[in-house]
Amino acid sequence: MKRLTLLLLLVAACSPPPTHTEVSFMVFGDASERSAYQQLVDAFAERRPDIRVLLLHVPGQSDYRKRLGIDFAAGTPADIVLINYRRYAGFAARGALEPLGPYLARSSIVHEADFYPQTLAPFRRDGQLMCIPQNLSSLVVYYNEALFDAAGVPYPQPGWAWNDMLRMAQALTRDTNGDGQIDQYGIGTEASLFRVAPFIWQNGGELVDNPAAPTRLALDTPAARAALLWFVELQTRHHVAPDAAAEAAESSESRFLNGRLAMFLNSRRGVPTYRTITGFGWNVAPLPVGHQAAGILHADAYCMPAVSRVKDAAWAFIEFANSAEGQAIVARSGRTVPSLRSVAESAAFLDPAARPAAGHVFLDGIAELRAVPVLPQWVDIEEIAGAEIERAFYGQAAIDEAIRTAIERTTPYFAE
Amino acid sequence: MPMKRSLLRAGGFHALAGAITLLFCVPFVWVLVVSLRQPGLAPPQQIEWLPNPAAWSNYPTIFAMLPLGNYLLNSLSVVLISVPLTRLVAAWAGYALARLPERAALILIALAVGLRMVPATSLWLPRFLLFSQASLIDTFGALIAPALMGTSPFYVLLFYWAFRRIPAEIFESGRLDGAGAFGGWARLGMPLVGPTAVTVAVLCFVHYWSDFINPLLYLKSDHNYTLAVGLRMLQQLDPTGWPLLMAAAVVMIMPVLALFVLVQKAFVGRI
Amino acid sequence: MLLPFLFGAAVLIIVPGGITLSLAFAQYDGLAPPRWVGLHNFRSLFVDPLTFIAISNTSLFVALTVPLRVLAALVLALLLHRPARGVGIYRAAVYLPTIIPGVAYALIWLWVLNPVSGPLNLVLAALGMPTPAWLAESRTALPALVAAGLFQLGESFVVLLAGLHAIPRDYYQAALIDGADRRQILRTITLPLLAPWLMLVVMRELIVSVQSSFTPALLMTGGGPYYATLFLPQLIYETAFDRFRFGDAAALTLITLLGLGLGLLLLHRAAGGWGYADET
Repeated sequence: MKRLTLLLLLVAACSPPPTHTEVSFMVFGDASERSAYQQLVDAFAERRPDIRVLLLHVPGQSDYRKRLGIDFAAGTPADIVLINYRRYAGFAARGALEPLGPYLARSSIVHEADFYPQTLAPFRRDGQLMCIPQNLSSLVVYYNEALFDAAGVPYPQPGWAWNDMLRMAQALTRDTNGDGQIDQYGIGTEASLFRVAPFIWQNGGELVDNPAAPTRLALDTPAARAALLWFVELQTRHHVAPDAAAEAAESSESRFLNGRLAMFLNSRRGVPTYRTITGFGWNVAPLPVGHQAAGILHADAYCMPAVSRVKDAAWAFIEFANSAEGQAIVARSGRTVPSLRSVAESAAFLDPAARPAAGHVFLDGIAELRAVPVLPQWVDIEEIAGAEIERAFYGQAAIDEAIRTAIERTTPYFAE
Repeated sequence: MPMKRSLLRAGGFHALAGAITLLFCVPFVWVLVVSLRQPGLAPPQQIEWLPNPAAWSNYPTIFAMLPLGNYLLNSLSVVLISVPLTRLVAAWAGYALARLPERAALILIALAVGLRMVPATSLWLPRFLLFSQASLIDTFGALIAPALMGTSPFYVLLFYWAFRRIPAEIFESGRLDGAGAFGGWARLGMPLVGPTAVTVAVLCFVHYWSDFINPLLYLKSDHNYTLAVGLRMLQQLDPTGWPLLMAAAVVMIMPVLALFVLVQKAFVGRI
Repeated sequence: MLLPFLFGAAVLIIVPGGITLSLAFAQYDGLAPPRWVGLHNFRSLFVDPLTFIAISNTSLFVALTVPLRVLAALVLALLLHRPARGVGIYRAAVYLPTIIPGVAYALIWLWVLNPVSGPLNLVLAALGMPTPAWLAESRTALPALVAAGLFQLGESFVVLLAGLHAIPRDYYQAALIDGADRRQILRTITLPLLAPWLMLVVMRELIVSVQSSFTPALLMTGGGPYYATLFLPQLIYETAFDRFRFGDAAALTLITLLGLGLGLLLLHRAAGGWGYADET
C-alpha cells in the first residue's frame, strides 16, 4: 500500500512547479497544419514570455472528438481547444464552454466587426458568441493542371455547370496502360452528407425540414433527391469516381497527390499538404453551379472550456491568434481562409507566389456560403446519414432506400 | 522397407510444416518489401518480391513526419518499468497462492479467472476518472498502473502453476533454516521457476509494447505518445500511404521480433 | 504477498467495474452528475437498430473465430508436437504472428487484403481465381477480419502443445501393442486426455474473441462497410466517447458480459462440467 502510494507520487511529481502560466492548446490536423500552429505558438512566446503555450496535437478529426469528450468528462480539457462549428454545440449545450463574446467585447486588439459575419453566426448561441472562429472556408474543386492539359480539356471556369463537371470528369477518367483497369479517375470526393449538401442547396433542396427548428432530414424532397442522385451517379452510373474497392486501395486524396486524379473536392484544409506537390501544377475552381449558387461553410474556432483555471492567459493567446498578426501566420501556411476580412484580403492569404493561384475563389463565394444546422447531435446525424449516402454512392443500395433509412435512423436524434 | 516409409513420412512432415511456416511468415516478407517501395508510385500490378529501386529513405521519412524516435523511447520506458513490476507482483501473488491451503487458493483462483472476464470496455471510463483523480492522466503512470496488479490475472496463474510444481518439502526445509515468506520466495522459489518467469516477461513485454487503447485514452501530449499511437496517427495522416505505413509497422515489430528470436527456445522449444 | 495483487485488482478492475455496473442504470454525460433512470437505457438500446447489428456481428465473429482458431491450433499442435529436427523453427513460425503488436498487425493485414494492389489479391489473380474486395465489401469484410485474426493463435497452440506433452508415452505404446491405428489413437487416447486443455483453450478464446475485434475493426474497417464489421466493443467506445452516453455504453457493456456468461454456461453444459478445474 505504502509502496503503491509512493510510486504514484513519484510518477505524478515528475515536473517541478512552473514559474510562468501554462496554457494548453489542442488542435487537429496533419503535420503541415501542426507546424503552422507551432509557428503561431512560437510567435506568441516572443510577445508574452510569461505565458507558456503547450501545443497538443491529434491528427484525425474523429480521434480528436473522442479526445475532447474524454477530457471534458474527466474535467481536464486543454485550456484552448479548436472545434469545428458542426461539433461545438454538444459541448456548449452542456455548459462546458466559456462564452467568449464578453472577452471579445473588451478586447482592444480584435473587434467583432473585423470578422466576416458568416463565420461568426454558427458560433452564436442564444445571442452569445461562444467561440472565436479562425477561418471560413468553402468547398472547392482542386484540379490537376497537367492532367487537364494532357487530355486537352480546358480548366474549369467560374460559373461552370454540373454537367460541365461531369463531362470533364468523363474525359479525364482513363485506363492509361490499357490493362482494362481504370488508373486515372476524373473526380474524387468523400461520400458524405457534408459534401453533398451544397449540391442539394444549389438544386433548391434543404438538408432539414425547418432550418430554424429542424425535426428531421429533408432528403426526400424532389429537389434534394435529384441532387443526391446526381452526386451518387458520378460513381454508380458514370464511373468517373473510384468505386469502393478502388477507394480502399488508394484514397482519392492520395490519388490526387500522386497525380492520378483530375479533380478533388475539399475545403481549404488540403492546401498546406498540396503545396508539397512537386510533380505537377494545380489550382482551385469554385463548385459548379446548379439552379442557384450555394456554398458550404467550413469553420473552426478557438473555444475555451469553462473549467480552465487560466482563463486570462488562455484568452491572451486566443486574442493573439485572432489578431491580424496571428491570423496572418496561420494563413501563410495555406491552412486557413482567414476570418478577419483584412487578413483575407492581404498578401498573407492571396500570396501571388504560392499555390493556388486562384485563391480569391475562396473569397468570391463567401456571400453564398450556408451553414449546416447547429445542433448538439448534429455529428451523429451526419455520421448516420453519411453511412447511407456512402452505401448509395458505392452502389450498395438504391437511392430511395438510402434516403428512407437515413431519415428514419436520424429522426430520434433531432428530438433530443 | 519400413526405413523408406519413415523417410517418406519425415519428408512429408517437413514439406507440410514448411508450407505452414511459409504461410505464417510470408506476409512479413511482403510487408518488408512494400516498406521499401517508392512512395507515390502507382500501386503494384503484380506481386513484387524485391523493391525496385529500394527506397531506404522511407525509414528516415517517417521519423521526420512524426517524432517516432521519441515514441520509441516512450514505449521502451513503459516496458522497462512495467515488465519487472509485473513480474514481481505476479510472482508474489502466484507464490502466495501456491502456499495457501487448497480451498483458499481455489477461491482466489476463481476470482482471478473472473477478473480476466471483465470486458476491458467497462474499465475505460471509470479508470479514466480514477486516473484523473490521481493526476495520472498524460503520464506513463496511467499506462503502467496495471502492472501493480501483475498486469493480468493470467500471469499470476502461470506463476501459481509453476510454484505448485515445486515440492513443499523444499520450502519446509527453508523455513527451518529461518527463511521468511519473502526469503523463501526469493532464495528458493524464484530460481526454480526460471522458464515461467521468462515466459511472463516476454508476454508482458509484448503486452505493453502493443498497448494501444490505454495510451489512446490516457495520454494527451505528443511528447508522451507511444509507438502504437504513433502508428495510428501515421495512418490518419495518409490512410493509404502503404510504403510509409508498412515502414512504421516494421519499426514497431522489430524489437519484439528480436526479443522473440532471443528467447524463443525458452518459449516454444521447451515443450 | 498477495496484497499488491489484490489491492491492484480492487482499484483497477473491481471498483471501475462496479462504477460501470451502476452507470448502466443511470444517465450520465460526463458533465452533469449521473441520474438514476432504472432500465431506461436498456429500453432505448433495444429500439436502436445498431444495437442488434453489433450484437449479431459480434456473435457471428465469435462463432466463426473460436472454433476455427481452436481447430487450427489443435491441428498445428498435433502436427508439431513430435520431436523432429527443426520442429522448434516451425513452432516459432507459428507463434510469430501472435507477438506482433495489434496496431501493426492490423495495418499489415490492411495491406495484404488491399482489394487492388494487395499481395493476396495479386496472388489470387495470378492463379486465375476471383479477387473479392475483402474489407471494402459488406459480404466479405467480417470473414476477412476473422481470417486475418486466425493467425494469432500462438497462445492456444502452446497450451495444446503442453497438453499433448503431458500425455504419458506409455499410453501410446500400449495402444500400439493393441494394434490401434493412428486414427484410433487420436480418438481414444489423445483427444480425451487433451479434453481439459481444449476446454481451457476454448474458454480463453471465447473471452478473448469478444474483445479482440476492437483494434482490427477500428483500424481496418472502422466498423464498415455499412456496419458490416460493427462489433460491440466499438459501439461501446463510440457510444461513450463520441455521443457521451456513458449510461448507454455501460448498459451495452453489461449486455456483452451477459452474452459472454451465457456462452460460457452453454460451453459448460456441453462439456458436462469444468473438466479443466485443477489441471497441473
